Amino acid sequence: MDAAIDCRDLSKRYTRNAPYALKDLTLSVMPGEVYGFLGPNGAGKSTTIRTLLNFIQPTAGSATILGQDIVKNSVAIKRSIGYLSSDMSMYPKMTGHEFLTYLSELQPATKPAYRQELAKRLKTDLNKRLSDLSRGNRQKVAIIQAFMHQPSVLILDEPSSGLDPLMQEIFYDLLNESKQRGAAIFMSSHILSEVQKICDRVGIIRDGQLVVERNIAEMAKEAAHTFEITFADQPPLANLRKVPGVKVASHKGANVTVHLRGELTPLLAELAKHEVVKLDARQLDLEEMFMRYYNGQEAQ
Amino acid sequence: MWPVIRWTLWQRRWSIFWWCLGLLGFIFLTLIFYPSIKTQADQLQKTLGNLPSTAIQLFGGTDFFSPIGYLNSQIVYLMLPLLLSVLSIGLGNSLIGREEHEQTIEVLLARPLSRGRLLLAKGLAGIINVLAVTTVGTLATVLLAKAVGLAVPSGNIVAACFACFMLVLTFGGVAFLLSATGRGRAAGLGVAAIFGIGGYIIGSLSGTVHWLKTPGLIFPYHYYRSADILRGQFDWSSILFFAIFVAICGLLSWIAFRARDLA
Repeated sequence: MDAAIDCRDLSKRYTRNAPYALKDLTLSVMPGEVYGFLGPNGAGKSTTIRTLLNFIQPTAGSATILGQDIVKNSVAIKRSIGYLSSDMSMYPKMTGHEFLTYLSELQPATKPAYRQELAKRLKTDLNKRLSDLSRGNRQKVAIIQAFMHQPSVLILDEPSSGLDPLMQEIFYDLLNESKQRGAAIFMSSHILSEVQKICDRVGIIRDGQLVVERNIAEMAKEAAHTFEITFADQPPLANLRKVPGVKVASHKGANVTVHLRGELTPLLAELAKHEVVKLDARQLDLEEMFMRYYNGQEAQ
Repeated sequence: MWPVIRWTLWQRRWSIFWWCLGLLGFIFLTLIFYPSIKTQADQLQKTLGNLPSTAIQLFGGTDFFSPIGYLNSQIVYLMLPLLLSVLSIGLGNSLIGREEHEQTIEVLLARPLSRGRLLLAKGLAGIINVLAVTTVGTLATVLLAKAVGLAVPSGNIVAACFACFMLVLTFGGVAFLLSATGRGRAAGLGVAAIFGIGGYIIGSLSGTVHWLKTPGLIFPYHYYRSADILRGQFDWSSILFFAIFVAICGLLSWIAFRARDLA
């Protein structure tokens, strides 16, 4: 299966002497996949998205969406794209209905009734002027414009900002439905729990470079083998180190964190010889990974 | 492309209405006093004849109180181009520039709409906007001229207003070009205004100040001979000059806009 979004050494710098805002980005997003793009402000997330949408021109490298070049075939590509950004700029004097009608005329929907269905699900009043709507309600209108033509590729820049938790859930449902339909979703976010919940893969970008790309399912598998153990007395560090597959990651007082690769039984057998006060199997922690890469430990 | 034209005009519908109303009011107030001025025309003409020739040239010639002179000096040469220039430059500056500044352009360009088509649609919407206001101004001038007894053929008035419309499009074209390059909107506004007003001053004075003759040739105002048109001497070559000028601005706008980074 061909990638829906495919970037090859995509680079961007705004002026000749400026540092690269995006450097040699190579990534791909498959149809039916949700790709989370993480990074703090100024890391290059929006530059990537704006380059993919041809709002800005790449300095080097190339990218295709649905097999078509993002620069040469930008117009054709956009027939299949839904774009959403946080606090999207809209026409304040228009009502939601007028705004969506305008955009529908530029990009006709295959199922015109879907727009009304989305408005109903998101509980959006389309008869109000956009300037009279709260940020959250404007974001709902922005979500409708991105989804209403049921695009094959969704490019989302911090899409759920401003939404209340109830609406966030509906938004995640919409993402899931698009995914089931086979849409490729490329999404930048600051909300790590959101990424963890809905993405299949994540990429972390730092100073314009992709520093790591991980599969969420694999991460969950790895993280499940991290144990935090609290002993009643001094921890038996030497014995723990002898257990096959165990690596003592850190220890402080009676607390020990171990990483385990392989069978769990030998570790449990060793622990049974000691008085263990607490044993936690740590959950997938994207934040830890994010911080680790951002502190530069892994990237160096 | 058509939805962009239609919605742009729809968004500006109240602005168009107020511009039409304002222009109507201005023309009404200017022409309604003509009957009382007509009776003192000779005396007034004599008084104004004492003014320096450069000042007289700034008002569009030496004849101020004959029907053609009055219409030309009060409306067609000065105020109509001035008001329509403000409209045209404002539109040229904001049609793309404001969308880009407020980032609404991203919503449009995220749709299957090329930059060239967006530019063309916005340009055409601007032209239609100026045309609508000019048409109202033209009709008001023709009807009121008849009503107050200004003996100028209606066809000549229409032709002069059309030339004025074409003239102001050149100023709008400059503003549109500068905003398409992505330079500061304020700078674009300033340059286009200087081009328009500077052109008016240079074009008007080039008849008496000889060294201004050559630089005056590069400004569209030089080719705007409203008094001649009101006398029935319509010069298509000047219209062609304006049209080519606007087309060049459009072409350069497209070259500048088609592949540049949006702000």
